[in-house]
Amino acid sequence: MMLSRMADALYWMARYLERAYNTSRLIEINLLHMVEAEEASFGAAQWRPILSIMGSEGLFSQLGPHRAIDKDTTVQFLTQERRHPGSILQCIQSARENARVVRDRISKEMWECINQMWLAVDKTLKKPLRSDQAPAFYYEVQNRVARFHGLTQDTMMRGEAYGFYRLGTHLERADMTVRTLDVKYHILLPTVEMVGSALDYYQWAALLKSLSGFEAYRRHYPGGLRPVDVSEFILLSPVYPRSLRFSVERLGGALTHIGFESPETRTCQAYRALRGDIEKSTAESIFKQGLHEYLQDRLLQIAALHSALQTDCFEAHLGERVAVSDRA
Amino acid sequence: MTASTLPNSSSADPFHEFYGAPSLPRPHYALLWDNMQSAGLDNLTAKAREAHLALHAEGVTFTVYSDKEEGIERVWPFDIIPRIIPGAEWDLLSSGLKQRVKALNLFLRDLYHDQKILKDGVVPADLIHEGKDFRREIIGIDPPGGIYTHISGVDLIRDGHGKYMVLEDNLRTPSGVSYMIENRMIERRVLPEFFSRYKVRRMEHYPALLLQALRRLSPRGPGEAVIVMLTPGIYNSAYFEHTFLAKEMGVELAEGRDLLVSNDRVYLKTTLGLKQVDVIYRRVDDDFLDPLCFRSDSLVGVAGLINAWRAGHVALVNAPGGGIADDKAVYAYVPDIIRYYLSEEPIIGNVPTYLMSRPDEREKVLDQLERMVVKVVNESGGYGMLMGPSSTAAERAEFKKKILAKPRDFIAQPVIPLSQHLCYLDNELQSRHLDLRPFIIYGEEIEVVPGGLTRVAFRKGSLVVNSSQGGGSKDTWVVESVT
Repeated sequence: MMLSRMADALYWMARYLERAYNTSRLIEINLLHMVEAEEASFGAAQWRPILSIMGSEGLFSQLGPHRAIDKDTTVQFLTQERRHPGSILQCIQSARENARVVRDRISKEMWECINQMWLAVDKTLKKPLRSDQAPAFYYEVQNRVARFHGLTQDTMMRGEAYGFYRLGTHLERADMTVRTLDVKYHILLPTVEMVGSALDYYQWAALLKSLSGFEAYRRHYPGGLRPVDVSEFILLSPVYPRSLRFSVERLGGALTHIGFESPETRTCQAYRALRGDIEKSTAESIFKQGLHEYLQDRLLQIAALHSALQTDCFEAHLGERVAVSDRA
Repeated sequence: MTASTLPNSSSADPFHEFYGAPSLPRPHYALLWDNMQSAGLDNLTAKAREAHLALHAEGVTFTVYSDKEEGIERVWPFDIIPRIIPGAEWDLLSSGLKQRVKALNLFLRDLYHDQKILKDGVVPADLIHEGKDFRREIIGIDPPGGIYTHISGVDLIRDGHGKYMVLEDNLRTPSGVSYMIENRMIERRVLPEFFSRYKVRRMEHYPALLLQALRRLSPRGPGEAVIVMLTPGIYNSAYFEHTFLAKEMGVELAEGRDLLVSNDRVYLKTTLGLKQVDVIYRRVDDDFLDPLCFRSDSLVGVAGLINAWRAGHVALVNAPGGGIADDKAVYAYVPDIIRYYLSEEPIIGNVPTYLMSRPDEREKVLDQLERMVVKVVNESGGYGMLMGPSSTAAERAEFKKKILAKPRDFIAQPVIPLSQHLCYLDNELQSRHLDLRPFIIYGEEIEVVPGGLTRVAFRKGSLVVNSSQGGGSKDTWVVESVT
């Protein structure tokens, strides 16, 4: 049992941190990729997909109607635009504000880590980030988020609060993994038979790197970068810790922590639908259905799980389970 | 005392707590002083830096309100040189504080029941009935144990002779106890070597004492009591303290929107539905506590809370209505209140106080505003106050107008030159004015944890110690051994 508002804050603290991490990783790899693949375009073709992964193309053009989509504008928007709730700066601020709400529910180490993260990021981003600062900055963001997760593993009680933190982390991670792959699909339109060209090679490599999975993939699939293998790896690998399957399995553990194992809750129904479909999937079945359609279906299931959590936990007092619990 | 016999305190020298004579520390500071001397100022600089970094990293903050910006979060300002109070001196203060809190609770119980003290003419009835914090809504209600102020913070100052006096009673939602404990944690880290030699009395068990006091108020018995701390939210200046205490006591930190009242019972909205609450340690003022009973525009309260309390299904800490006893005009009568209920002489006295509702005192005060401190009777935190000596003619004129319009709302006191202490500020040893806020818990018995929060006016010459007005703090050591 915990306060609904606290559960909500823990969940969003974790989601915002995960979002900051993923955004940072995406920008970092995209900047590197520009250097690696000289023939790549420096403009919209390379940066629009990132806006699209974040679902923030609309806000981007709204804030600057005639602004070109290029490296400088996109990086600024995704990193430090204060009017963009998904920018790294705003994500870390929101994560810290949520942590402040649940300060009595997280360990002192976790609070200090997230507080220092905010102080450092806010200080650096008081001015526009210069390109020569960029690599160190994105590295630092990822490092600090990773440190937070590490401290959490080592210091947080394995109770309900931990469960909500895990739910936020893995739901956001699953969501971002699917979105990242889906956007690459639009650019590359892969088929099962396809073997990548040189440019494609860089694109697929960048995709894997932005999900921290390049080296692991190479070890697993000696055959090279085949879209079907990359998709299988990103979606279905049971051992790669950012795969969709891996994240979804972790969500199951988190539901146990918050005591939501009983099959009649909306949350468990939504979860079982998502997990069941992933377990049935193979690379072949995914490409047979169409990768894009497959990914869209999973995004819908993830959204359904989120709204079930909303109903079952964050607004539990509105539901039919307003039985007066009276253990005293 | 009338204004004509007003002591000209503003010109008197302040008492120096650290030095007995120039450059000669008082005996209980000798050990500390010798060590500071032999280690050198560089060592103090390093320690001060270490303390600041620790507070910064831990996010020990408070929020300041100003006209321009809302809610700026600041790191808690801390000075590393401790204030040391010899044990025997403290024991006397402690009994004075207990005496005062005991009398004030008897006073409150009387005010909300028979009003004997008013009928006997010891305290003027008008003064009470015109007080903004007198709550007619709670007349006749019996809070558990007859206690109204379970937690009090009484501000003490020392005059030019070093005599302790009560400056203010804070009986509503006094804050500062978390900073008192944080100061101790930091101090032990930066000056560990002195704690055993001085035999500093411990006070970090405050949250445990508080929890015990809260638990015994539970209408369903202390065993399984569900206790929550009610905060106005993260933008409140004391939010840090609310999280600190909730965490230390292991109770839920709730906002008004986390609670609802049904059938005169209070429930917590949880991930498993509703859960009944027994005790609420509320850090929300009376006015905002229940929009059905008090201010209807309150967004931080809980509708129906007062009815649930009246029905005896939930305990509120502190009980509603206590604010009338820390009204600054009522303060002037506290020595009489102590004599009336306890038949004892007050152990700690008051600062001379002039009520602006008394025509003779008002006239004399208005003639010498530049020598007075004028306070609004029901404000706290140093807001809405006139510091005569540092005021401009225009400010004085404005206050004069306000006083004449609503005399009951103001009191005046002579400027007491608060005692001074040595501080290490900007890498230099400097003297600053300070006060002391001990915390008193009224549970089964009345208990005072040793020391309290020493608040320091960090601005040179300033007498205003409130953190909202540029004040800082020191760790306060009540010591057994002074050698």
